[in-house]
Amino acid sequence: MNGGDLIDRILWEGLRHAEEVEVFFGEGRSVSAEIKHSVIGNAEESRSWCLSIRTIDRGRIGASSTSDPRKWRSCLDAALASGRVANAQEWGGLPKPVDIVSTAPSADPDLIVGADGASTLVGQLLEGAAEHPARVVGGSAELARTDLTIANSSGVRYGMDRTVVSVTLEAIHGQSTGYEFAASPFLTDIDARSVGEQAARLAVHSAGGRDVASGRYDVILSPIAAAQLIGYVLVPALSGRNVKAGRSFLAGRLGEQVLDQDLSIYDDPAARGLGSASWDAEGVPTRRLDFVERGVLRCFAYDLKTAYRYHEESTASAVRSGAEGGVAIGVHNLVVDGRRTAVLGDERAIWVHDVVGAHTANPLSGDFSVELSNPFWMEGGELQEPIRTAMLAGNVFDMLADIGGLGDDTRIVGRVILPSIRFNKQQIIGK
Amino acid sequence: MAEPRYYDIRCVRGEVTHIDIDNGVVESAGISYFDRTVVRALGRRGWGILTLDRADVDSSGRIGELVDAAMHLAAITGDRVDLAPAPHGILPPPPLREDPRDVDLEEKTRLLGEIEAAARLPGVANTRARYTESIDTVRFLDSSGNEGSYEIVRSGFSVLAVAVRNGVMQMGSERDHAITGFNLRGRQDLGRKAGETAVALLDAKLAKGGAIAAVLDPELAGVFAHEAVGHASEGDHVREGASVLKGKIGERIGAEGLAIVDDPSLPEFGFDPMDAEGVAVQRTEIIRDGVLRAFLHNRETLASVGDGVAGHARSEHGAPPLVRMSNTFIENGDATFDEILAECGDGVMLIGSRGGQVDPGRGVFQFNARYGYLIEGGERTQMVRDVSLSGEILSTLHRIALIGNDRRMHPGFCGKGGQSVPVSDGAPHILLENATVGGRGT
Repeated sequence: MNGGDLIDRILWEGLRHAEEVEVFFGEGRSVSAEIKHSVIGNAEESRSWCLSIRTIDRGRIGASSTSDPRKWRSCLDAALASGRVANAQEWGGLPKPVDIVSTAPSADPDLIVGADGASTLVGQLLEGAAEHPARVVGGSAELARTDLTIANSSGVRYGMDRTVVSVTLEAIHGQSTGYEFAASPFLTDIDARSVGEQAARLAVHSAGGRDVASGRYDVILSPIAAAQLIGYVLVPALSGRNVKAGRSFLAGRLGEQVLDQDLSIYDDPAARGLGSASWDAEGVPTRRLDFVERGVLRCFAYDLKTAYRYHEESTASAVRSGAEGGVAIGVHNLVVDGRRTAVLGDERAIWVHDVVGAHTANPLSGDFSVELSNPFWMEGGELQEPIRTAMLAGNVFDMLADIGGLGDDTRIVGRVILPSIRFNKQQIIGK
Repeated sequence: MAEPRYYDIRCVRGEVTHIDIDNGVVESAGISYFDRTVVRALGRRGWGILTLDRADVDSSGRIGELVDAAMHLAAITGDRVDLAPAPHGILPPPPLREDPRDVDLEEKTRLLGEIEAAARLPGVANTRARYTESIDTVRFLDSSGNEGSYEIVRSGFSVLAVAVRNGVMQMGSERDHAITGFNLRGRQDLGRKAGETAVALLDAKLAKGGAIAAVLDPELAGVFAHEAVGHASEGDHVREGASVLKGKIGERIGAEGLAIVDDPSLPEFGFDPMDAEGVAVQRTEIIRDGVLRAFLHNRETLASVGDGVAGHARSEHGAPPLVRMSNTFIENGDATFDEILAECGDGVMLIGSRGGQVDPGRGVFQFNARYGYLIEGGERTQMVRDVSLSGEILSTLHRIALIGNDRRMHPGFCGKGGQSVPVSDGAPHILLENATVGGRGT
């Protein structure tokens, strides 16, 4: 049975037992090359196949998934059994088909997923790294393509290609480490040589850092560091489910100035990013979602289930998550934007490349304390002398409510697209 | 095509049950299925690795095709890999006190709901509980004729309570995971504890950052062993030169009396009947009496680095094996808890873990406690929140001033290279002098 026949069969079979049925089907292939001892150590190919089924009957949603096509019937039975255990809720139906006009840039049509491509990227990473006297201790290049299909019993059947090209490099110089990466759906967006060069440069230039005394300092977080704190704290606070459940700091604050007026935050599924999509994980056509406009909170993210339950509208924010392929509320390409400053680090500040332990932040209150990776003094827009080690303690919501400026650099970090951000008078704990 | 110097095939198939109850509503509950296979072939130099869903490895012809595909990948590798010989063998998983498969989904959901409801104390605005159960059937075979298979059942739950008052929001969370059978019965105590912690934290002060004496509870001290020592002792980091512990075997790197061990044979949550290369698992003493004794290895890193034993290769379903920790702990010392508090004098006590991270090459780690207490004049006083600890591996271990005699193990999950595996960490209470504590209080 090919994918299309299997989908028809499941929909037909499922409708004998439930009012509605949804099938999400993904088939993918990826090839990666991993660097060891400054050459390719492992080469890996991964072929994946995943089927997720949801059934809805009298407001009871059931779900199951499998990686074995021969198990589709057990998977359907498990979805139906799961629906019998779930609490019934208000439900207004799966989406009906529409003409989707936008074509989100989710895939590079020219990308060839193969060992030769990965090998070439590794060569470029190593060539870049060789510009500095650091030792390469790890890294990788990966090329991936996945075909995704969603179909439901209301007649939706959409297909989408997704590609990912990603490179990473890890270098060490003495006891000083440097890590850089890049990822995009498009091969032409990836400058592997520059990634290798930057990682090695960070390792070399961070060596011999001096301690910093505890106190208040202006801090500039690179897009990597800022994206981590935003991802662990702000993104969950924008989920309609967390808002309605009383787990979001932003609950009840629509229309209020919650962030700095120079800051706008929106989800742009049509942007060129790792989450680009014309439809969400439930087959709802995506659109731009302005969460925060010039600091004012405008909306939250909803999937169908949460929207129906609380009489809101789906914002097409459903994403597939975890091994079970269940539906959760998330973001596609979260863009952090606002008025840009040409030279963010003109006045003396501590520039931070990355942080260690962002996931230990308190996702409810936004309080965190993290160790800094590759911190430098910055002045006149240039990195000056390195700092050996320090912690940054703060509160993500407070910090975003009073920023010192956004840089004119923009990069993709996972599902967030953002510039460097300056925060004035932050608490640094030295050694 | 060249013949492989070695190949192995590992198939993991099974099912995962999950239940999610949010504010009394069963959001989702159900079973999913997986069937994944990893084929590794060692070419003239390095590994070619093929991972795929639903592979049929029962015919030699099919195995040949898969190994050929892996060998095709191996052709682009340039780093010469050799494998150390290692004993094969398999331990029986501990018997299940109650097999979760004998309990139906409705009953599991009801029991989880009782734990979730117990967290709903006055002041608590939201409660959530989740149950996960995985039944893994693992089959391993290699080109040397070794074969083995086993089944392991892991199940457990977590419960979260969120308390809100005047715009302040705090959380309490508890969890328990086990390989010894179904563990949802009569556990409302953990739900209540999550609720009580969330409410109590509303009145807690923000911790003040700085260099002070810190008492770590057994859970957090276990995470300390895991982050500060465990990762840096993993043979792959050492082989690549990305660990500050490289070249330090035989050197004193910690306080006298300090012993840190990783033991996959221990029947705790990180237990492995055999490792992901079919190797018999055994205990590794990483540090004994403050001196670095061994690294954690798979066959490849043992051959390359030495000092230790293989048997520490582990993998997530359908992913290639990496050198990983299993059950990692600080051995008991002889101090009592009261002696530790008295010796601490003025400082902070850190309780529970919100996770941690380490950069083993730089030797810097960070982790966060769920909450803590001030210690004043050797007495536990006011509650503090959002308190973390960071440090440098090579200096922090010397600052362990006292090691308690009350070791406990705590289950959890550890991430590395995009793979998550079940582990346990443990320790007795320990006292750290001059610890770098992070917090934004003033």
